[in-house]
Parts: sequence; structure tokens; C-alpha cells
Amino acid sequence: MLKRVVVTGVGVVAAGLVGGGQTLTRWLAQVPSPPSDHAVDDTLLAALMDGVDARRASRVSRFTVAATRLSLADAGLDDAGAAGFVLGTEHGDLHSAIEFAEGFLRGGPSGVSALAFPNTVMNTMASAATIACAAHGPALTLNVRTVGGELAVARAAHTIASGRLDVALAGGVDVRNPTVDATLAELGDAEMRGEGATVLVLESLDHARARGASPCGEILGAAWRGLPARPNGVGHRAESRAIAAALAEAGLAGQAITWAYSSSSGDGPRDAWERALLVRALGSEITVASLARRFGQHAGLGALRVAAAAWSAGSGRLIDPPVDVAPGPGLVHGIARGGTHVALVVGPAPDGVAR
Amino acid sequence: MTGRRGRTVVVTGLGAVSPFGTGVKAFWQGITAGACAIRPITLIETEGFRSRIAAEVPGAVGGSARRARADRLALTAASEALDDARLSAAERRDAALMVGAVGGGMLEVEAWYWKRWRGAREHPDAGRERPGAGRERPDAARATLPTSHADVLSWRLGLEGPRETVVAACSSGAASIAMAADLIADGVVPRALAGGADALTRICYMGFNALRLLDPEPCRPFDRERRGMSLGEGAAFLVLEDAESARARGATLYAELAGHAMTTDAFHVTSPHPEGHGMIGAMREALASAGAAPADVAYVNAHGTGTAQNDRIEARALRAVFGEGGVLVSSTKSMIGHTMAAAGSLEALATVLAMTHAVVPPTVHLTSPDPDVPFDCVPGVARAASLPAAMSNSFGFGGQNVTLLFRAC
Repeated sequence: MLKRVVVTGVGVVAAGLVGGGQTLTRWLAQVPSPPSDHAVDDTLLAALMDGVDARRASRVSRFTVAATRLSLADAGLDDAGAAGFVLGTEHGDLHSAIEFAEGFLRGGPSGVSALAFPNTVMNTMASAATIACAAHGPALTLNVRTVGGELAVARAAHTIASGRLDVALAGGVDVRNPTVDATLAELGDAEMRGEGATVLVLESLDHARARGASPCGEILGAAWRGLPARPNGVGHRAESRAIAAALAEAGLAGQAITWAYSSSSGDGPRDAWERALLVRALGSEITVASLARRFGQHAGLGALRVAAAAWSAGSGRLIDPPVDVAPGPGLVHGIARGGTHVALVVGPAPDGVAR
Repeated sequence: MTGRRGRTVVVTGLGAVSPFGTGVKAFWQGITAGACAIRPITLIETEGFRSRIAAEVPGAVGGSARRARADRLALTAASEALDDARLSAAERRDAALMVGAVGGGMLEVEAWYWKRWRGAREHPDAGRERPGAGRERPDAARATLPTSHADVLSWRLGLEGPRETVVAACSSGAASIAMAADLIADGVVPRALAGGADALTRICYMGFNALRLLDPEPCRPFDRERRGMSLGEGAAFLVLEDAESARARGATLYAELAGHAMTTDAFHVTSPHPEGHGMIGAMREALASAGAAPADVAYVNAHGTGTAQNDRIEARALRAVFGEGGVLVSSTKSMIGHTMAAAGSLEALATVLAMTHAVVPPTVHLTSPDPDVPFDCVPGVARAASLPAAMSNSFGFGGQNVTLLFRAC
């Protein structure tokens, strides 16, 4: 990477966990049991919705706005200014799309809500967040199965590292919907589904230092690639070019990485494929942690894994399994059915500037 | 964010499926003939809607009928672009894949949803020849997501580089090109396949109808009597490549993607900033990233939807950047409608072709120019013009602005 990229703010909306960096750090240190239904308590978001158009903002947009505001506050930024915004999502606002279609089914063309229509486009969450936080840089919504949060963080980190932006907000969001859940169950989906949003503030180290910000971690390398797999299928190739590229960017060999947060989430074939990729790249002794059992899989989880990895890199402690590891850089890794594949090397905050 | 760059990025392959049919040739012939492909819609029932016309891709779309219509549009256009670029299998393998998408496989999922969840009702398109008919099964839902296009393209075309699906509403196709260019300029990949695809969907039609943004007649961008937009469908992909690598393998260089920029209004979910701040920012940043002055640009392929608000604000932004009458402007949408996620890439393709053929495609149905649009909008008939540099604008819901600036090689 040309410029060093640090994480200076975290905002999390997840089951049993709504807050900024300090709240997350407390949670990571204690790891309380989250609600078993992996559902977010919406009442916790009310105070973060000031000024948001309640008629238009759907639940998934409210999650996004809340996480964005929490991350900006955590980073000590009043507004996002020229920052970019990169948001990963798997399902976007399908809830609104279903409601919109139901309006037509109930009342024909006159039953359709014009106000609801923009929510059917998947960039509606980024739109709500950029308006709420006055972010005027590029706003990218990345749609992908399973790894939306990781992919968004990787794209944003690359954009900062290449010097195109000084600051970017990046993360992911998804909410649960009964129709979507029922359909996925009918299709044999085995993932532990959850909901939530996580947004990180990423900055160049120079920019963070100049404004006196306190990073909580560093993105040392980020890469994403495609692996051959049928659409919605899992592949067989275990050689990961994404991990190799991320390690090269970080200037590290595979042996330097002894632990990883993976996207393992209960989808047996995909989880096995991911395990094979990690073992091939990092060796069979690699300790692999996952957060999906705690929160259920959703696109925000990838960004939450990055924040957790930054904490683990500093503390030498993993979450689920709760084991001690060598402090220092670790890997955040994700692979989606269809083959989109992301790897981030995450380290502790640079010396002298950590919070 | 501007496209500041290390490596020079060039266009070496083109592919399209448009309302004029399959292929770049059909597209170029259609838009330079000043033909209008906006006709009565056949794919979906439109009884009770304000508008009952759209620009559909004619005839059978190639590819397996098991795939969503939008997937097949994407696959057809992407295959043409890769063939045009004459890339080997090994060269394809390293290529990035950036897809702009909005509707995904929604057309088929709508059919499935009607049947699965509202089975007691008669399907709204009963009796029509419609995609997905007779196969309303749950696995249609797998193709709902916009990311499905990228998964299909990657699998079928052997692309293993960085893969992303960007949803930036009506600027998605252009955003995909900008994102791909960044990866090439930064040396992450030597080449990329980038573009957008969308099929007409009922939800999209219902939505713009509810917003009263659809003109009952074919749209008339920049005309004082304009009454809204027309919808369309299609796909377009460009092969972008590091210039050095492209020259080394003897590729055809259509144009240089000299600059680009993406900005966000952060103003309103559907309306652009009334002064066009985001649009102006995107155009100026694109110029700056190319090291170009406004006077260097001879033609702007406008977003030009035909809505009262968009055209007025885009004209205001163009005037701020280029000065009154400072550049030729035309709207491809006047002929093929607004093809949503495909629009930005189809219009980028039109811009590149305009440069290579030295012909500016016209704005059709423009008979009474709006005095608030103080530009020569090339009414009715294509015009010969030397174009050393040309710009393509794309703007989307959420205030998402993308400007691409091409320069002759």
C-alpha cells in the first residue's frame, strides 16, 4: 500500500451490541451472550435518528445511519465532509421491495407508494447515510453474498492507500425479513442468519495524525479476487490469490499469520472451502475464529470482524473460540458462494498513535 | 474522488445489447440513424399506468432460458466485448470484473413471487409471453440479487480477478467503469471488464409511474415540452486495459479513459441538488484528473433523462463547467430510453464510438428546444464532428454522480 490506512472509528448495530468503539471494546473483553434470535433492539436506535426523514428511512437505512453516526462520533468527526462511503450488503432493502410489490397486488397501480420506491434500489441505505452525515465523496454500494462488509472495507482501504481519498466510511448492513428467511430456508440455506450494521472510519495514517485522531487498528493489506465456482455454488480450488495479494501488500509471509477471523457461518460446503483456503495459505496450525454464532451472518459482520481483529491484534485474544494468540497481525477472510473472495491483513494501532 | 492515476487506461473492447438489438454495430447504427426504439411494452402488463411504452431489447435474448433475462443480456454484451478485445484465456483470468446492476433477476423473481406468495390471485401478466413463465420456483429467487450477473459472467467467461457489483442506481454502469479504471491505474490488474446490465422489471415500471416521471410518449430530453422519461433495458461492457500492456499485445485502442470522478450530493433521496453542485463537482474533478480544460471537450453525452428537473439542473451544471453553448450535448436516452444500470455503460460506449467515428449521435424528438438548456443538443440528426475528447455523465437516485472523460488515442 502506498499510504498506511488506519481505523479511527467504529459504529456497531448488532444483536445485543449498539455503540461505538468503547462499547465494542467492552463487549470484546467480556463477550456476553447476545439474544438468541440475533435480532436488533430497534429502540436503542431512536436517539441516533435525529433529523432523519422517518417517512422514507426504512429499518435497514436506520441501521446504516445509526452505525455511521456512531462511527463518526467515535472518530471525533463532526461530519463526513469529502469522505467516501462504501457499503456492502447482501439483501439491501428487500423488505421495502416486498412491501412495494404488495401495494400493487392490493391496489393495482394506484396502490403503489411513490415514497417507498427509492427504497427498492439497493443504494438507498448509502443514500440515507450520506444525507444524514453530509458525505460528499463517492458512495458505493457493493452487493455480494456473505462478504459485503469485508469487501467494502477492502475497497475503501485500497482507495485511501492509493491516495484518492483521505477518509472513507466503510462497512455493511442487512436486516432480516420473514419472507426472505422463508425463501432461503426453502432453498436449503444453512447459514446462521442475523442482522445489523457496522461502519468503520478509515483514514490515511497521515491524515489521522494531522488531526490528532487515535486509531484502534491498521489495515496492512487488502485484496479481493474471484475464485471459480458456479453461481451460488462452492468451488474446489484451494489456492487463494486474494490472501497472497493481501500478504504481499502487508509485506508479510504466510507464517507470520497465526490467526484469522473467517466468514464461517454454518454453510457446511462453503465453510469447508474456506477452511481449505486458509490452511493452504497459512498452514494447518492456523487458529480460526468466527463471529457468526454470536450475531448471525449479515453484511455488517465483515466490518465487525475487522474491528475485532484490530482488537485481537493488540490484545492477543480471539473471540469464539476465546483463546489467546500471539499479538500482532491477523487475517480477516471471507468467501462467498459464487467465489467472491476477500482477504485483509489487520494489525494493531501503529505505535505512538493508538487510543 | 477523482481518477488520479499512475498507469494510462485505454478501451480495447466493446460489447452491447440494446433496444436496437444485439451487438455494438446495431447499437451504433440505431443511434446514429436517429431511430427511436421506444415502443409499446410487451414484457409486462401496464394496464392503468401513466405510460405504456418502453425500449425493450427486441427478439429472443441469447443464452440459457434458465438464466434471468438480465443475466443473459449481461453475458451477451460481455462476451462480445471480450471477443472484440481478443483476450486469451490467460489474459481473461487476470482481469477484474466490475458490474453495475440494479434490478438483478427481479423480472423472474416477480413472476415467482406472484405465484408463490400470492398464488390465489391471477398473475398480472397472465396470457403474456413473459420470461420466467412456467418456472416460478424458489431457485428463481437466487438470481434476484444484482450480484448474480457478476457470478454468472465470472463463471462463464473465466474471470478470476477482483470482482465487484456496484449498485449506484442510474449511474451504476458508469461507476463500474470508474472503479475498474482505478484498479488498472493503480497496477492491481492489467485489464478489466466493466459495464452494466438491467432488464425491464415491473417494480421499476411501477415506481417511476408512481413518481409520475414516465412520459406517455417517447421521451423528449431538452425539449421545452418534455414530460418525463422512458424506460429501457440492455447491457454494455467495455474492456479497459493498461495502455502499455494493450499496445504490447497489439490491441485496438478505441480511446483513453483520461479521467473520471464520482461525487455524492448528500441532498435528497431522489432529487438532485438544485444547483447541481454534485454534478459540477464530478465534471470538474474528471477534467482535473485528466489534466484537461473544459475547452478540450467537444461533446458531452448527457444523462439527459427527459424529466423537467434533471434536464434543467444538468444544463445548469453544464453551463457552470463549459459556459453557455460551450460544448455539443446530446441524449442517447431519447432513442433507447433510460436503461437504468446499463445506461452509464451504454452511453460510455456511445461516447467512445462518437469519438472513433467522428459522429455525434443526436437527441431525437427535440423540436422545441428549452431556453433553459443553452446548448446545441444536436436535434434529430447525427452530426459529423471531430472529437479529441468527450465526456459521459451519469446521475442516479441518492445524488450519485459519475463523469467519465475519454480522449482520442
